[in-house]
Amino acid sequence: MSTDVGVDDDDDRTPEERARERLVDLAAQFYDQMAGGDVPELRLPTRSKSNIEYDEESGVWVYGDRTSTRSANSVGGARKLLKATYAVEFLARQLEQNRSSTLRELYYLSESWDSEEAAFSDQSESDKLVEDLEIVTGVTREDFHMRPEESGATLIGPLEIVEQTRRGERRIHCQEDVGEGGYQIPNNPDTIEFVDHDCAFVLAVETGGMRDRLVENGFDDEMAALVVHLKGQPARATRRVTKRLHDELGLPVVVFTDGDPWSYRIYGSVAYGSIKSAHLSKYLATPEAQFVGIQPSDIVSYDLPTDPLSDSDVNALESELEDPRFQTDYWEDQIELQLDIGKKAEQQALAARGLDFVTDTYLPERLDEMDVI
Amino acid sequence: MTSFQTELGGGAGVAEELAESQRAISIAEFFEKNKHMLGFDSGARALVTAVKEGVDNSLDAAEEAGHLPDIYVEIREVGDYYRLVVEDNGPGITREQVPRVFGKLLYGSRFHKREQNRGQQGIGISAAVLYSQLTSGKPAKITSRTQEQDRARYFELVVDTDENEPEVRVEDGTTWDRAHGTRIELEMEANMRSRQALHDYVAQTAVVNPHARVELREPGLDESLKFERATDQLPAETEEIRPHPHGVELGQLIKLLEATDSYSVSGFLQEEFTRVGTKTARRVTDAFRDRYFGREMAWTPPRAGVSSLADDVAEAVANKTSEATAAFADDVADRLRGHDRASHGAVVRAADAAAADVEAAHGETFGATVRENAVAAAWAALTDPDRLRTDCYRLVDEATSTRKDDDAVEGLAERLVEKFDDSRHRATRADLRSYVDRSADPVEEAFDEPFGETARENVVEALWDATRTVDDDVPRVRDVAGDRDTASNLLEAMRATEILSPPTDCLAPITAELVEEGLRKEYDADFYTAVTRDAEVHGGDPFVVEAGIAYGGELEDGGPVDLLRFANRVPLVYQRGACAVTDVVKRIDWRNYELTQPGGSGMPQGPAVVLVHVASTNVPFTSESKDAVANVPEIEDEVELAVREAARDLKSHLKRRQSLNRRRRKREVLSEVLPQMADKVSTVTDRERPEVERALARIMNNVGVAHEVADGTATLRVRNHSDRSEEVEVTAILDAEPDDPPDRAGVVEMDGEWFLTWEPSVDAGETVELTYDVDADASAELQVDGVAPERLTVAGGGR
Repeated sequence: MSTDVGVDDDDDRTPEERARERLVDLAAQFYDQMAGGDVPELRLPTRSKSNIEYDEESGVWVYGDRTSTRSANSVGGARKLLKATYAVEFLARQLEQNRSSTLRELYYLSESWDSEEAAFSDQSESDKLVEDLEIVTGVTREDFHMRPEESGATLIGPLEIVEQTRRGERRIHCQEDVGEGGYQIPNNPDTIEFVDHDCAFVLAVETGGMRDRLVENGFDDEMAALVVHLKGQPARATRRVTKRLHDELGLPVVVFTDGDPWSYRIYGSVAYGSIKSAHLSKYLATPEAQFVGIQPSDIVSYDLPTDPLSDSDVNALESELEDPRFQTDYWEDQIELQLDIGKKAEQQALAARGLDFVTDTYLPERLDEMDVI
Repeated sequence: MTSFQTELGGGAGVAEELAESQRAISIAEFFEKNKHMLGFDSGARALVTAVKEGVDNSLDAAEEAGHLPDIYVEIREVGDYYRLVVEDNGPGITREQVPRVFGKLLYGSRFHKREQNRGQQGIGISAAVLYSQLTSGKPAKITSRTQEQDRARYFELVVDTDENEPEVRVEDGTTWDRAHGTRIELEMEANMRSRQALHDYVAQTAVVNPHARVELREPGLDESLKFERATDQLPAETEEIRPHPHGVELGQLIKLLEATDSYSVSGFLQEEFTRVGTKTARRVTDAFRDRYFGREMAWTPPRAGVSSLADDVAEAVANKTSEATAAFADDVADRLRGHDRASHGAVVRAADAAAADVEAAHGETFGATVRENAVAAAWAALTDPDRLRTDCYRLVDEATSTRKDDDAVEGLAERLVEKFDDSRHRATRADLRSYVDRSADPVEEAFDEPFGETARENVVEALWDATRTVDDDVPRVRDVAGDRDTASNLLEAMRATEILSPPTDCLAPITAELVEEGLRKEYDADFYTAVTRDAEVHGGDPFVVEAGIAYGGELEDGGPVDLLRFANRVPLVYQRGACAVTDVVKRIDWRNYELTQPGGSGMPQGPAVVLVHVASTNVPFTSESKDAVANVPEIEDEVELAVREAARDLKSHLKRRQSLNRRRRKREVLSEVLPQMADKVSTVTDRERPEVERALARIMNNVGVAHEVADGTATLRVRNHSDRSEEVEVTAILDAEPDDPPDRAGVVEMDGEWFLTWEPSVDAGETVELTYDVDADASAELQVDGVAPERLTVAGGGR
């Protein structure tokens, strides 16, 4: 399984070797520019909302054609390129030594570099630089062995995997070998291999409370569901693993969130990709993912307890109506209905009909409607 | 030349009073009362004033005689008094004149002249003599020698304060080492508390008189202060001029009119004013007639065939043959049709001309009565009310906004036509305005269509454009002089007519070049600029303003800039706050010119000297002590323009400096960053460290010059990374003889070194090369001119 974007699968080098090679290529590009008497420069897609395009073919969001050039022509540009070369050297060495570090560590580490000009002024600068390097090298952050600070989310269900850990290969059954907390998704999910499974579908759940309710009610067991906890806006690792479950095991993916506009965006980023990581959309997004609920129509049909929509909720719903990701009959009907009733509901609101309502009634009904079971 | 007194600010009162009641009060009493105005109010000040009067006189005297001034000033303590000596190399003063020059107040050759001189009233030096005699009781000691005299003459004299007459106490021949010149020695009660002002005065005198050599010796100095000459060029000699028409007041004009020998206004203008010839005089008299008589409305003449104009004229002619009558009538009609618009005057001229033609052709006389009748008939045809309404409608319609209601415009035109009640349709501009107002008011009411101020003025303007100057004779000079309103019409006409600026040969500006020279001489700065404006006029007197700025270098930073004020080359050291020049400098927003100025007004701050020189045949001072220029708007405007012009130069200098600084900083950062980057990429790629000089040169838009020797072939290369073409002068100093270099390079041998020079012109972005054979071990040192050091990268040439 290749982790590089757009690289042949029949390449026998390790991801580390390939990532390192790409970094050296970038350094060589600067080298050749300088040696040729040219001003070193780096061309990147413009990373703004205005340069995000919906790729009809793959159903995900990717960067458009507009590019910006970072050039040593200005003092600021020269400093950025210097930082980039320092970061390239650091990452190349890290890969060579098969070590890893966090984004925050990179930021602090820059303080120790021998050039004062190369030190990052804040972490957002170094985070952004790593993203830039992902874009120009086509290598993901995970393959640079860079990980975010926060720990990954969890999954639970009838799935058996093999994880390459620093301490050797581990074979884990994600239901039998784990506690109620489930299996923790590693920062680079490409280090795991799916060995066997008995899953019918993947159920990605927004809130921890609902995830625990499903586990307590034995939903994963009864329905052969692989329950993935999204923990709010999902981390890259969570989205990557979801995509792999769909692509490699052919499992249908459904997303279960609160019934408010922000939760629809969580679904959107699972299904279509986000602006910040649009260069990785093809690697992270699962366009086939379906939305379970809470739907605005559920609020009506199940007469759920609700909160009124705030002004910012209304604005967010209206901007979603303008968003091509949501320009389907289904979403237009649902959003207009929600604007009409002026209400939103949390996942836990289903508890108003009893603690087992969600597992006994709501989900089976919805999944049946969606042809998932 | 008629003599009259110009306004001298506050000084006019003093001089007039003095002149009128000279016998009534003693001169000593006058002096006592006015010494503050004359600059002798304190012992400290008196000494500076006395030096100033002495030096001003000396400079004027030497210049008038065409000598480069060499002036020596000495101040010495003598008991309780100070003794002042001022000595010059001027032409000397004749024996007869000495007593009057030094011993009589208000004696001088300049008071009535319109010519630029340092002194103007003839009060200065004699006031110093008087002050000395009143405080010390000692006479003034004068030594003077003219070129013709074998020996110098020595005088001791006092002012007879009752009579304002000099009283010579001692007169004798004496020996003096100067071939010509004057020396005055005064003893006076004084002190040196104003030493700084004294030094400022002398130093600043040197700045604006770079052709003078000045030496100052005073008790506080170990050795005398010498200001050497920076140029041998004397200021241009000045000419006396007549007043300029734009600069006289009504009272002055009436005085001139009363005194002139001229009979006609045209002659008077040409005789008494500068820059007025026949043509200008005609333009002034036309403008005068327009104001005095008003103008005649001219109307569009009817086209041939559509009116009975010729028939009407023919009908009005009696007792002539029908051929002559027809010829006359057709001629009149033709002539009128030749005009776009014809006024009553044009009709009269047409009738006169036609009559003359017909008389010549037909031998029949068309006398005054016939012509008058013909004129009346033609004028009636021309001013047919229906035609006028159409004509007037066109004028009004064009002059007003297209949004105006058409009926209202028509209504206005109709009413306007009725207002021309004078038989010849004469009206002044004020009449026209009143016609418009009287017509527009009812129209506004009737049509509910506003005719605002702008619309009304536009209509008046359009009507005024359609009027013509009348043919009446201009009033005689004596009639103008006898009537204040008429004279006022003439004055208005003079002011309204464009007239050349007064000649400047009566002025001796320092010139921008020498102002800059003077600043360079006395101030060690980074940047100098100077400006001389064109001459302008105030109160009939031409004046020129000059400004200069010195900036940076050794000039003191951290406080307000130094403002040096000069009038007719004399430094103004006192009363800075009362001076118009100071006001103007404070009023300018210097932040626009890159200087600090808290709040955007007041004295700007920074290491700068601002110099302002006002040269005029009559500089208006706030008082007789001549310390501050009065707030005359014309002068203030010119001062502002001159200072701003100089300040613009300063600004571009500072901008250039800032951009060079930014450039230097950028270069500093980049020459740190790029090599570090090169190190890193060489580590990562495991290749030899790449050269960054060319990339750096390209970033800095630089010009790179390099010299390489390989296998006995030397290559001299100039790369132009900038976006404009560069002329570069490269000299390669070789330690071996170049073999047969191309002709475009020159080679000179000197002490075993070969100087190869090449001056290529390199287009933007291009590279040029020069190759030649040379010993393989030869090395070269490169020298490059024509490119600012900040923009130059020299590589590979060093030994």
